Amino acid sequence: MKRLELILSRLLWLVPTLIGLGVITFAISHVIPTDPVAILAGENATAEQIAALRTQLGFDRPLPVQLLAYFQDLLRGDMGVSLFSQQPIAEELATRLPATLELTFAAVLLASVLGIPLGVVSALRRNSAIDHALRIVTVSGLAIPSFWLAIQLQYLFAMQIGVAPLNGRIDGFGPEPVTGLMLLDSLLQWDWESFWGALRHIALPAITLALPAAATIARFTRAGVLEVVTSNYVLYERAMGLPGALVTWKYVLRNALISTVTQIGLIFGVLLSGAVVVEAVFDWPGLGAFAVISIIQSDHRAVMGFTLWAGAIFVIVNLIVDVLHTLIDPRSTR
Amino acid sequence: MIPISRRPLLGLAAAAAATAAMPREAHAADRFVYANNSNFDTLDPHVVFDTARVAVRLNFYDGLYRWVDNPPKLIPWLAESHETSADGLDWVFKLRRDVKFHDGSPMTAEDVVYSIERILALNLGAAPLFRPLLEAGATTAPDAHTVRFRLKEPSAIFGSLVPDITVVNSKLVKRNERDGDWGRAWLARNVAGTGSFRLRRYDPAVGFIAQRFPDHFAGWGPKYLDEIEFRTVLETNTRVLGMIRGDYHGTDGYMTPDQIDRFRASDTVQILEQESMRVFHFCIHNARAPMNDIHFRKALVHAFDYDGFINDVLKGSVVRNPTIIPNNMWGAPQGLEGYKFDLDLAKAELAKVQAPLRPITIGTLAGFSETEQAASVFQANLRKIGIEARIESAPWPTVSSRMRNKDQQYDMVPYWKSTYYADPNNWLGELYGSRYLGGGNVSYYSNPEVDQRIERALVSTDQEERQRLNEEAARMVFDDAAGVWIYNTKWFGPYSKRIAGIRFCPVGSGQDMRWAHFA
Repeated sequence: MKRLELILSRLLWLVPTLIGLGVITFAISHVIPTDPVAILAGENATAEQIAALRTQLGFDRPLPVQLLAYFQDLLRGDMGVSLFSQQPIAEELATRLPATLELTFAAVLLASVLGIPLGVVSALRRNSAIDHALRIVTVSGLAIPSFWLAIQLQYLFAMQIGVAPLNGRIDGFGPEPVTGLMLLDSLLQWDWESFWGALRHIALPAITLALPAAATIARFTRAGVLEVVTSNYVLYERAMGLPGALVTWKYVLRNALISTVTQIGLIFGVLLSGAVVVEAVFDWPGLGAFAVISIIQSDHRAVMGFTLWAGAIFVIVNLIVDVLHTLIDPRSTR
Repeated sequence: MIPISRRPLLGLAAAAAATAAMPREAHAADRFVYANNSNFDTLDPHVVFDTARVAVRLNFYDGLYRWVDNPPKLIPWLAESHETSADGLDWVFKLRRDVKFHDGSPMTAEDVVYSIERILALNLGAAPLFRPLLEAGATTAPDAHTVRFRLKEPSAIFGSLVPDITVVNSKLVKRNERDGDWGRAWLARNVAGTGSFRLRRYDPAVGFIAQRFPDHFAGWGPKYLDEIEFRTVLETNTRVLGMIRGDYHGTDGYMTPDQIDRFRASDTVQILEQESMRVFHFCIHNARAPMNDIHFRKALVHAFDYDGFINDVLKGSVVRNPTIIPNNMWGAPQGLEGYKFDLDLAKAELAKVQAPLRPITIGTLAGFSETEQAASVFQANLRKIGIEARIESAPWPTVSSRMRNKDQQYDMVPYWKSTYYADPNNWLGELYGSRYLGGGNVSYYSNPEVDQRIERALVSTDQEERQRLNEEAARMVFDDAAGVWIYNTKWFGPYSKRIAGIRFCPVGSGQDMRWAHFA
């Protein structure tokens, strides 16, 4: 019951959160001294032509009226049309979502596979040379800017060793989209060449995103394990003669993972709302790249659509994390 | 528990290694791949008119005439010929009879009429060039292969603009119109042209792949490209590395000297070098004090270190250009030497300025390091003569928006004036003619003597007279020191050594792929 209440209250909070987000984004978009209508009209347009286009697009109306109209459209499920592509923004976001989703899954998976064992080992070998070495690695992982790491990986693996492609999601356009997830689609179509192509292309961006994420996961796992490993029930299990590996991986880890799961959820939310820099460096055709282009073109509606999407994802991911909490630790619902 | 065999894993690893070990070549052996510095968010030829997405207009569509080579020359294309009435108002074009759209239907005069009406109605892309000259409904089709344009006023530049009337398949577009949108939503994702290539795949987030259109009216030589791919690669560094790796066969030709050096050092890339028509200059806000004082402007033009910037910063990769009209364009004043860098002269001019001096603001283009370098060079020398300059960097859309607003315009902006049509008016008229105030005239310069010549040059049909008028007007603007004109860009087209047949034209920046082929 508590769990249901939690879900309902969070969903209710979603509405004011998104309204607030929309108002702030709208205000910021219009404070910046950029005129999207002038950009759209082109370098050769006269003042009269720009004014006519402004009226045509409804941009001459007072800002509160424009904002109200935008929210009315949103209520009807219409996020508006991109000023430049003239395509529905919801459609633009949906087209790019699979690329971001695929990259996010790959990065989170890689980060978890790396981060959790490293955190456990680090905690169990506390203050040993391994612990110190892992701490240096994790701090570095957090400190290195992702664009720098991305470029170094490109130089090393694409230019020097030559085992990975430089950028993009696949050579050419890949298999015909079914789910939009390139790896899955190529498997569904039994297209191994595309599968390997997609796998090679996703490697570097996924590693770039995974390394700092793995560092975060490792640190939280380490802290969690350290807290649990000295508790009475663990001492009891050890005293009962249970094998060390069983105690660690079954009893310690489950209780130690609560904060780690929160972090994984947050990382997932951040990446799903668009890994802007990494997508731009690797020309990954996802939501982050869409956000960059929309901002450069001052496509206000597209920027607002992306921001609302990112905000909604964040709230929903937080909700999922909270629900997962209650599953891992039923005490949290009491 | 599912037993995991090592054999499949070894197999996967072997396959991965084999794939990795394959020669690093462009995506398909017979497909030309171009790394484009801008995204193709729409394929509609009547919506965008920038050089970054010119590949769509040039390869999927055709105009009545076409710009080719350097210096640009007009050749008949969809039209075989044209005649102009004595008063310069009627332009009658005879169309070829053998032109087919990609769906096999014949192109007729109705399609040309629909196309120009669509351009005017959407009021985007090339529309600002045509709207001052043409009313909606003023274009007619006396027969299936004749088009008649009735202009509002005589225009000498109309002939230079007709390549930008890209013709769409009117029947096909009309079938896909929604709520009177002139097929805009549909044409953003589809192609309805007669061009040399037809669309095969398109993803706005990635780019497009196009196949050669074998039935193109212009025919094909013995060598051609069967398939072309234009991919969006926003990061300059990635484009450079991709060219060197052999991932791409071509990319944009306006890179910095360092990047050009990296190409030259590569075994895979050839550089095609040509003087372009893209003038780099500091646009001065002529209507605001103290820049509205000619002595202040003269101080400015003598305070820029032209040779130092061109030879030291840009390593001599460009050509000094003394006025706004490119050196290689007719109408550029002959024998005119540019202003010299002379701080003593600058100080002398500054001493004559009546209005109180104040710090001036230079707006540079974020991401275009050359504009920032030029501003820094200028700032250092201005300080020596007692003028403080503040540099504000912003993305091009922000800078461009501020430039259009007389009150928000910076005091100076360094940027390139590109070729939209090869006529002196493209540079001189649009930047300094009063008729373009509030539009392209972001220098807010206005001089009746100059206007008189620009206006006359816009209607005269006498080429000699037009040349003389443009030269005179350019000299007047030069004497007024209405801008700081620095250089004309050289185009250093990076192409794979496997590619031949590139015909560079400043209007299309070397992206007209119908002439190119694998060597």
